[in-house]
Parts: sequence; structure tokens; C-alpha cells
Amino acid sequence: MDKILEVKNLKISFRTNSGILRAVRDISFDLEKGRTLAIVGESGSGKSVTSKAILGILAGNSIIEGGEILYDGMDLLKISEDEMHKIRGDKISMIFQDPLSSLNPIVKIGRQITEATLLKNKANRKDARKQFNHTLALLKSAMIESGAADEAKAKELCSTFDDFCINANKHEHAYNVDFDTCEDCLAHLKDLLFKAEKNQKQNVKSLVRDILKKSEKFKSEFFVREYKKRLEEVTKRVEEILPSYKPVQDDNHLSADLKKALTELETILSEMLEQTKPNFFRIGYYTLKNPSEDIFAIPIAELNEKALAFLDQNFMLEFLQITEKALKFSSDKYLAKKKEAVEVLKKELPYFEGAIDQKGATDRAKIMIKAVQAGIDPLEIKKDNRAYTFVTSINDAVSRYFRFEKENPKEQKRFDKENEKLEKAKFKGKKVDWKVVPANIVDLDLLKENMLHVINGLIENYEKAEANHAAIDFKERSLELVDFLKDRASKVVYRITRSMAKENAIKLMEEVGISEPRMRYNQYPFEFSGGMRQRIVIAIALTADPEILICDEPTTALDVTIQAQILELINDLKRSRNLSIIFITHDLGVVANMADDIAVMYAGKIVEQGTASDIFYDPRHPYTWALLSSMPDLDTKEKLESIPGTPPNMIYPPVGDAFAERNKYAMQIDFEMQPPMFEVSETHKAATWLLHPDAPKLETPETIRNRIARMKAKNNNGGETNA
Amino acid sequence: MPEIKTGEELLRVEHLCQYFGRTKAVDDVNFSVYKGEVFGLVGESGCGKTTTGRSIIKIYDITSGDIYLEGKHVAAGTLAHKQAIKEAGAKLKTAPENEKEALKKEIEKEREALKEAKRVQKKEKVVDKIQMIFQDPIASLDPRMTVREIIAEGLIIKGEKDKKLIDQKVYEALEKVGLVREHAGRYPHEFSGGQRQRIGIARSVIMHPEMIIADEPVSALDVSIQAQVINLLNDLRKEYGITIMFIAHDLSVVKYFSDRIGVMYYGKMVELASSDELFAHPLHPYTKSLLSAIPLPDPDSEKKRKRLVYNKLKDHDYSKQGPTMREVAPGHFVYCNDEEEARYKKELSR
Repeated sequence: MDKILEVKNLKISFRTNSGILRAVRDISFDLEKGRTLAIVGESGSGKSVTSKAILGILAGNSIIEGGEILYDGMDLLKISEDEMHKIRGDKISMIFQDPLSSLNPIVKIGRQITEATLLKNKANRKDARKQFNHTLALLKSAMIESGAADEAKAKELCSTFDDFCINANKHEHAYNVDFDTCEDCLAHLKDLLFKAEKNQKQNVKSLVRDILKKSEKFKSEFFVREYKKRLEEVTKRVEEILPSYKPVQDDNHLSADLKKALTELETILSEMLEQTKPNFFRIGYYTLKNPSEDIFAIPIAELNEKALAFLDQNFMLEFLQITEKALKFSSDKYLAKKKEAVEVLKKELPYFEGAIDQKGATDRAKIMIKAVQAGIDPLEIKKDNRAYTFVTSINDAVSRYFRFEKENPKEQKRFDKENEKLEKAKFKGKKVDWKVVPANIVDLDLLKENMLHVINGLIENYEKAEANHAAIDFKERSLELVDFLKDRASKVVYRITRSMAKENAIKLMEEVGISEPRMRYNQYPFEFSGGMRQRIVIAIALTADPEILICDEPTTALDVTIQAQILELINDLKRSRNLSIIFITHDLGVVANMADDIAVMYAGKIVEQGTASDIFYDPRHPYTWALLSSMPDLDTKEKLESIPGTPPNMIYPPVGDAFAERNKYAMQIDFEMQPPMFEVSETHKAATWLLHPDAPKLETPETIRNRIARMKAKNNNGGETNA
Repeated sequence: MPEIKTGEELLRVEHLCQYFGRTKAVDDVNFSVYKGEVFGLVGESGCGKTTTGRSIIKIYDITSGDIYLEGKHVAAGTLAHKQAIKEAGAKLKTAPENEKEALKKEIEKEREALKEAKRVQKKEKVVDKIQMIFQDPIASLDPRMTVREIIAEGLIIKGEKDKKLIDQKVYEALEKVGLVREHAGRYPHEFSGGQRQRIGIARSVIMHPEMIIADEPVSALDVSIQAQVINLLNDLRKEYGITIMFIAHDLSVVKYFSDRIGVMYYGKMVELASSDELFAHPLHPYTKSLLSAIPLPDPDSEKKRKRLVYNKLKDHDYSKQGPTMREVAPGHFVYCNDEEEARYKKELSR
């Protein structure tokens, strides 16, 4: 499985008037591509803070005490605001909890939805072109260096690839746009016919005109080729009939000839949608080499086959072969450098273990960075996050160490002074109405450990790369590279006009359940109810087409039907766009439908982590038990088991297990020591002393056992009847 | 057949309509609530369930219809009478001589009824008997009042002047809902969400109401706190025999908590039955779609769950005959026409 986002040892605190509030206390999790990770917990457990840290939008009084968030070769905690800008909203997008404060009250809804698309589109295309060119140039030089092809050959191959790949994607984009428009037309037409059948009042003339106007706009030759004549003919006929159509009072049925013409239009449109899609990548090459041939004379299926054979024979196989060699060469070359880097790191490591001074540490860090960066293979598609983020991580660790080395004594001094003042005042019997702000002393040993952790982690990664090197399948790698280039090319041509953005927005608004989206497009946020506003926020997050979507309690304010609708929408999008989702909620019922993996958070820590079936069918932590038994399902009859009390005040985090005070299964050790993560199975972990081998054996509470048994029985029955 | 409540009728709502301008928030809703039961009202947001609750407690002047509390007429709408007068007046102009007398009498009768309705609307009070718990525990408590003032406000408005008695009643109410005396001097912002909702409950309990209308009391709360509040309401009901009208959109909670459930859709009551019956044999397509949307804590069945979509146009054919509320089984009412009624009965007998 590919990890798309890794959160490691994240610690976040907030500076408040009454002291330092530890919101997130050392959590780690991975998000895998195309999967949904649900973070479940009560309010104040730190789940929203975690998601905000990923997007870099923490409040001003936050302190990031440590940890890493690795994404695409970057550490999101340490990159600059400019770099973050490129990621936020575009690669990682968020549906916010509070729709009231996340919409701009003085900008119309329509503009707010399309804003991101239009703004980011140009920059994205530029970016994609840059990446495409860069990767292709690297590939070319690797080809030449490796001797797999001479200079002329490499140049020719790469420029041909560039040419037809971009061109093909242009055609594909036009085709896709037309396809969408056609789908839209068809939906509207079907709706119109259905309503007329049911004798519903509607403005037939303007609706039909709208549809006709759209269907005349098809641009892609590939899309309309066979249907052009028929389409024109029907359109003409409808235009002729339309002026004579007059609705009679209370009778909204269509006249016979109009109905016939519209039904015909419906069949044509649906046929158009069902035609075989041309493979533009192949055809692009074919037309490049045979510019004189009339490809529209050949049926699409045949053309696809023909072009494939042609492409393989003349270009692709050779290209792949040479690429494979080039990749192998490049990988070998950087492997040697990696070995050198490991040696350098190992040589410098002892210095950091002992006493360090600022100049020595910075100089040595520079040497190490140079060595590590030399070892990065730029042609690798899957980036080694540790190597890419080594610069920022080590620099940050070093500078932080020396900053606190200076600041700690100052802070201590301030604290002592204020304390003394307080004591004096109290001694004199004055009324004291202020408190001493606790000293913010950072443990230097911990910071040093951080440094060693960064260096050791990299050594480990590079050594692993060395060990795995023999097993690399370069054929697969070369295919991956071609796919990557194709993907970038499709982004280069992905041009969105204002009207397209509007149509997209309206479609999305309809999808998220806003009625009459065309009218509502031009309204302001205050004209919407809370639920509607939430849907707008969801629509905005989805327009940007992100890789990672963070949903922060997206359906808490909505009712069941809409909630189900929105969850389905998010699930559909996840499938169609291969999204990875972080889903934050306090409602376990919602999670069962959405999540592949679940992390249960309490008081800033992950207390249990596993796949959905691990958590629901085999919960281990008392907090998970409590959460599960405190919500009724449809068969619950007995008294609900509520969790007594409230979550602890995180300004004074408890010494032991944070849940101990509300936990009826708590043991003495729970109040004294924090439990480590115990592994239940490969995917399932829980932090509770109950899993310690010496702990008394404890059964899962009866209500939960009953429910699980009931669910299992139901599922089995369902399975049998289905079979 | 499930058990049907035959207890004493506490509240009867007849032909309740509440229009806001052209919007028909509640349109011709009929139901009764019996003593000691929990009556659940479900539906999506904007379907008029909150408006129904607020109309009953007379936060709005109702447009049309009648509400009876313990057999006493407590609220009446004027629109229906006004319309009747208008229609009869129009008829009067064209009617033949021999019918005129009857029409005039009718107008006179309607005028009397209108007068009576206006009187009822103005004079009758229900707040002694019915109290409401509001959805948002943060917005419904005045941040500048102490908890004591908030809870005692109802008593003071009612005319209670004895401070000692008020204090004692406040402490009693606080203890009833699981808070302690010391909390009385604090302000709402010092409490957590669940505790705030408890203050809201204490405020309504202190009036010793016959009935509490709980308008989404738990939807703004965390799951663990939800259970606390539901358990509390359940205890109050068992101990003091308070009748509860429970308005919510979370069906699992409603199922757990209510004896009978009414399902609302766009201002209409579409189905009404005892809660076991409703969940076992949902008949109206909207109820079915609502039930199919409930998320369950069971990943395997969730993956298989298919959501039904309700489409008013597709699911009903009301071109020949309009729907009315009909009893298809004892205690089970559905909003349907003749053809559908036959179909539903067949479905039930299977």
C-alpha cells in the first residue's frame, strides 16, 4: 500500500492565559492512498487540531512541539507559507465543521465555489508543464548517459513523446468536456419529459432552448462525428415546432410532434454517450505519423486497435526499453551516492551524540545535507519522504536545540522572579489577583534525541533502499514513469473556462442536494439555512479536485437523509477520483459506512487504532467500549451506558492513562503510568494496560458482545438469503 | 399487533396549519399525545417538526386548526373561519333567494367561531402545563444570567415572590437533573455542553409541567454526553410521569426513546404508528427512505446497505384521487389514497 500522508510523533500545544494546553500529545498515523481514515473522539480530544496542523492553519497561539507530517517529499510542518499555498485547497482540501464561519458573508455563493477552480487552474497547468518538461529532460539525459541511446535518438524519442502526448490529451479534454455537456443535456431532457408526463407545470420553451443551445456547442470532432447530421436535423425540427407550442391551462402535456422530436433527441444523446471512447494516446501518435489519413472514416474500435499496433511497433516498445535501461542506470548511480551518504552520516553521528556547540553542529549539518541530497534519485516517482525532508528536519532540529538552550535559563529566571514577587505580596497580606504563568521549559535531551532520530531514520531508509535495490522491477518502474508523464500531460491541457466552472459548480450544488441551484448560484450565504450552508462548504472543497480530503464533522449539522446523501457523495468521489480521506467525527455510526481504518482519540492521544472491522467487532480499549455502548442502535432496549464525567483538563494532563478517571475498569497502574501501544494483531493496536500479559483477563462488556453477536447473525442471514 | 396506548389523552392537535407568508411550514396535521408516553416526531430539516412543537407551546399564533390540552381548547387558528366567511359571502351574491337565509346563518356561526378563536388565541396559556427544551444549549441560555436566575425565571414570571421557596425549588430542580447546589451561582459559559443541556432541562422541570417538548435536545452534543441526557429524560419520565414530545432527526435515538412516532414530510404528517410497528412495517415510501438512511455501527452490513430515494412524483399517483390520513392497521396511520391503502393493507397482511 502506498502511504500518501504520514504523521509522526505530532505534538501540539496552545498557549493560554491559564497555562500551556496540551492538545495533541504524540500521535502517529499513516494515510494510505485511496483509503479513508476516520479519527473518532469527543470534542476537545484534539482531532480537529490534528487536521488543522496538516493544512497549516493552526491558531496563532499554537506551539508545534515536535513531529513531522510528511507529504510528497515535504514536511508540512516546516515548509514556508508560499509552498503551503500550493498544497492547501489544491492537493489537500478540507470540509470545515462550522459552515457559518467558513463562508465569506459578502461574496456570492457562486463565486465562492468557482473561485478556487479558476484561481488554481492556470497555476496548476503551469506547474504540470514544468514537471512534465523537467522529468522528460531528466529522462533524456539519463538515456544519453546510460548509453542506451545516442544523443540524436534520445532527443527524437523525447520530443516525439512530448508532441503527441500533449496533443492527445488536448483532444481527450475536449472530448470529456463534450461528454459532460451531453450528459447534462440528457439529464435535463429526461427530467422535462418526465415532468410533462406527470402533468407538472414548467417553462417548456426556455428549457428546450437551453438544451438546444448546449447541444450545439459540441466541439470535439471525435465526439459528434457520426451523429452530427442526425443531431442537426432533429435540432432544426424542434426549433421549427417550438414556437407553435402553447401550454393549455391545467394541461401541461407536450404536443405529439414536439414529444416525438424530443424523444428522438433523447435517443441520439444517449447513443452518443454510449459510443466507444477513442484511446487518444494511441491515436495521437497515429495521426502524428500519418497526418494525411482521414481517421474519421474508420470506426473507433477498429482505429483503437490499429493505432495500438502502430504505436507499439514504431515507438512505445523501444521507448519503454530505453527508459528501463536509463532508469536502471540512474538508480545504480544514485545507489553509490546513497552509500557514500550513509558513510558520511555514520561518521558525523557520534558528534551529535556527545556535547555539541552551535558552529560545529551547523557545519556538520551542512555536510550531511549535501551528502544526502546527492543520493536522491530524481527519476523516482515514489518519493522517499525522509530524504526529501532531511534538509528542513535537521535544520529545524539544530536551530531549535540552540534556541532553547539560550531561552530556557531566561524563562526559568522570569518564572522565579514572578514567583518571588507573588510570595512577597502574599507575605505582606496584599490581595493577589494574578497568577504566575508556568515556565515553558523545553527538555534539551528530548530535542537532541529528535536530531539523532532524524539522522538515524535517514540511515535506516537509505540502507533499506540499498537492500531492496536488487529486487526493483525496472520494467514496472518505466511503466509507472510513463503513467506519471501522461497524468501530468492531462493536467497541462486541463483548461477551465468561467462558464465551465459555473456549470461544474451548479452540477455539484445539485449533487450535494441544493434545489434550484441555478437561482441559488447568485445568492449570498445568509440566504441559506445551516444545512444548506454546510452543503455549499462541501461543494467548495470538492471543486478543487484534491488528492487528500479532510472532512471535519461534515454531517454533524445535517439530518439523516441528507447525511446519507453526502456520505454517499464523498464515497463516490473517493472511488472515482481515488481520493484519500481523513474523516473526523464523534459519531461512530457514520464511520462504519465510510472508514477503512479508524483511530480513536482521547485527550490528545490515539488510544486505539485498527481497521473498521477491528474496532467494531473486536474493540479492546475501555474508551472504545464506552463510545460503542453509549449510542443506541435500532435494537437497543436496555439502559444506555453513559460515560460519567467530562474529559480531563489538558492544561494539567493526567500522569497515567487519561481515561482512567472515567473508566470503571481502571486499575491502579492506569493512574500512575501511561500505557504503551499493545499490538492486538498486525493492523490493530490499543493503548491500555488491560492488554498487558499480567493484567486480569476482562471480557468485553455484555451490551457490546450482544450487539456484535446480533450484527454477525444478521449479516450471516443476509448473506444466505442473497445466495 | 403491537400494544396501543389507550391512556388518557393529554394533547390533541386538529388540522394544525402554520403558514409563513406563502410557505406552508405545517399543513393540516392531526395527532394526539397520551399521558405518560413519549411521542417522537421525525423528518428532515425544514419539514416542520420544530414549527409544530413551537406552535403547540404558542410561540407562534397558529394560522388554522385547534389544539386541546386535557380537553381544554388552548389554541385556535383564524384563517379557516375567515376563508369560510369569505366564501359564503361570495356565494351570497349569486345564490337564489331561498338559500340566502341559510348562508347568512352560516356566516353568523363562523363569525362567532372566529371571535371565540381570537379569544382562545389571546387568553389561554399553556406554559404552566407544557415546557420546551431547545436544541442549542449554548444559544438558549442567557449568558448574563446565573443558573439560578435562568432556572427561577419561569417561577418569577408565574408570580412566585417567596425567595426562600424559589431557592429551594431551584436546588431541587438542579438535583433532579444531576447537578449540584453549588452550580446555581455560576454562569452558563462555565459549563460543558451536556451540563448546559441539563440546565435547560432543569428550567423546564421546575414548572412541574405535564408535558415537555424536547426539540432536538441531543443533536448538538457528543455521543457520550447524548447518552447522559437521554438517560436523564428517561428517569424524569419514569419518576414524575412527564409526557414527552421528542423532536429529532436521529432515528436510532428516536426508536430507542419513543413509544409512538410521527413522520413528517414537507409540512404533512405522512405516517404515524407505535415505534416498533413503524420500524418493523414502514409503509409510506418516505418513511422507507428515511429508515434506509440510518447509519449503523456495523461495517459489514453498512457496505451492503442500499439507500432508497424518495421522489414524490414517482412514488405516488395522485392525479385521480388526493391522499388523506387513513388508519391501515389499528394505531397505524398512513397518508394515502384508496389505491395505496389497499396496497399497504396487502403489504401488512403478508
